[in-house]
Amino acid sequence: MSSPANQPAANAPAENAETQSPAVPVWLIIVLFLLLYWGAVYFDEHGGWFEPQVYTPYASAEQVKAFQVSGGPNPFDDGFKIYNRPTCSQCHQPNGLGQPGQFPPLAGSDLVNEKDPGRVIRIVLQGIQGPGLVINGKPFNTGSAMVPWASVLNDEEIANVLTYVRGNKEWGNNAPAVTPDQVHAIRAKVAAHPLPFSPDEIMQISPSD
Amino acid sequence: MRFGPLVFLSAFFALSLSWCGLVLTPQIQLGRAVQETNSVAKSDLYPQERPGLARQGLQVYRANGCAYCHSQQVQQNGTLVDVVLTDAGKNSNTLAEAVNASLHTNFNAVGLAGGLPKPLLRETTMEEASSLTAVIKKAGGNSEMHLDPTGPDIERSWGKRRTVAQDFLYDSPVMPGSQRVGPDLANVGLRLPDLNWQLIHLYAPRAQVQGSPMPRYPFLFEKRKIGSELSADALHLPQEFAPADGYEIVPKPEAKALVAYLLSLRADTPLYEAPLTPPPARPAATNAPATNAPAK
Repeated sequence: MSSPANQPAANAPAENAETQSPAVPVWLIIVLFLLLYWGAVYFDEHGGWFEPQVYTPYASAEQVKAFQVSGGPNPFDDGFKIYNRPTCSQCHQPNGLGQPGQFPPLAGSDLVNEKDPGRVIRIVLQGIQGPGLVINGKPFNTGSAMVPWASVLNDEEIANVLTYVRGNKEWGNNAPAVTPDQVHAIRAKVAAHPLPFSPDEIMQISPSD
Repeated sequence: MRFGPLVFLSAFFALSLSWCGLVLTPQIQLGRAVQETNSVAKSDLYPQERPGLARQGLQVYRANGCAYCHSQQVQQNGTLVDVVLTDAGKNSNTLAEAVNASLHTNFNAVGLAGGLPKPLLRETTMEEASSLTAVIKKAGGNSEMHLDPTGPDIERSWGKRRTVAQDFLYDSPVMPGSQRVGPDLANVGLRLPDLNWQLIHLYAPRAQVQGSPMPRYPFLFEKRKIGSELSADALHLPQEFAPADGYEIVPKPEAKALVAYLLSLRADTPLYEAPLTPPPARPAATNAPATNAPAK
């Protein structure tokens, strides 16, 4: 701020060299520096350091965070956010119905609603491709593969998104929640398995394994 | 010109400095805003794109210069916190002692555990609320914090929380306005949700609000001869503003679009950057006229 105001004045001595008087009085420089200092302090206290989520009543990102009182992360709500990031919702649609013949539905699916989540965790981790997938008696030729999410989502995110999908009563699903520990255990087991799973392989695995 | 290059450079420096401040910085800050899911209370995606008619209405709003007299920016001065006890835990004696020691109150165990959820602290600061919450948690209970944004605009019921950039994500151009000749419209769809009220108010503001300085917009309406019977969407105007006998006033598509846009203005979703606790059950909306009266 001070620089553009300073600039023309600073040139002045060269033009008025013969008068020998300083073009910028010392007191003005001091005042400008004091103003600059005040501006910097004001910005530090009120500006939020360019954080896009800090607005006036709050002065810093920590303060905004202190006002988040939803009471700890709720796995179901967190799962909704992950599902619509968009990750799953790209193919399986925000309503979980998928596309007939191409992307299987998650809403009311027998595979999703299995009591033990062993198979669905594997599918999310490693993906699935190949013919022969049957959901609710309807065949899905997954020529378009489901991509593996093992490297994109961590254990907690996979657990939360599966908790959201499996526990979503609006979709008619009602399966128990998935914990990050379950995902962690299966992630270790399938690490050596080449991508992706085929439907036959998945159906041979016991859901509780 | 002896100092030509120097003058050029200083001018360039001055202009680029203001460009950085006014264009580049906001772009870096807010240019990549997307739909949010991190609202506080529930996992809604926000904002939703306005319906098609409302998007046309935005252009009517723009064309008629509504933004010259109406802002869409609710200001907020602060946030007050209530602490509500939701679960007294297994040992309500311990809890009562801990709460009494912390608040200098005189609860007994039965009184504290009865009638949950029970508000313990009202309109306090975040620090006090957090310390009480910690005390309750330590004593085995559970509590919730309720956030109430405060400020003159919110007392006038112009909004539930402050307006943030997210609210305008799908508007092009955005119409934040700066003058407040009329009331702020950031929440008008929630405040005055009656379609017919809005239409009559556009045709004749003084038919709805005594002494309103708002100009009339009769050109958004059509005066027609009544055919075999009154049109379904003819306005029911008071005697003073009613057309001559045998005529009716019917909104043109512009008026309908504008009202659709006005009704789509409701910024009450809790967001990460503008947290609030929505009231548990919304009271029935009343169509009390909005005033410019200063807040209490």
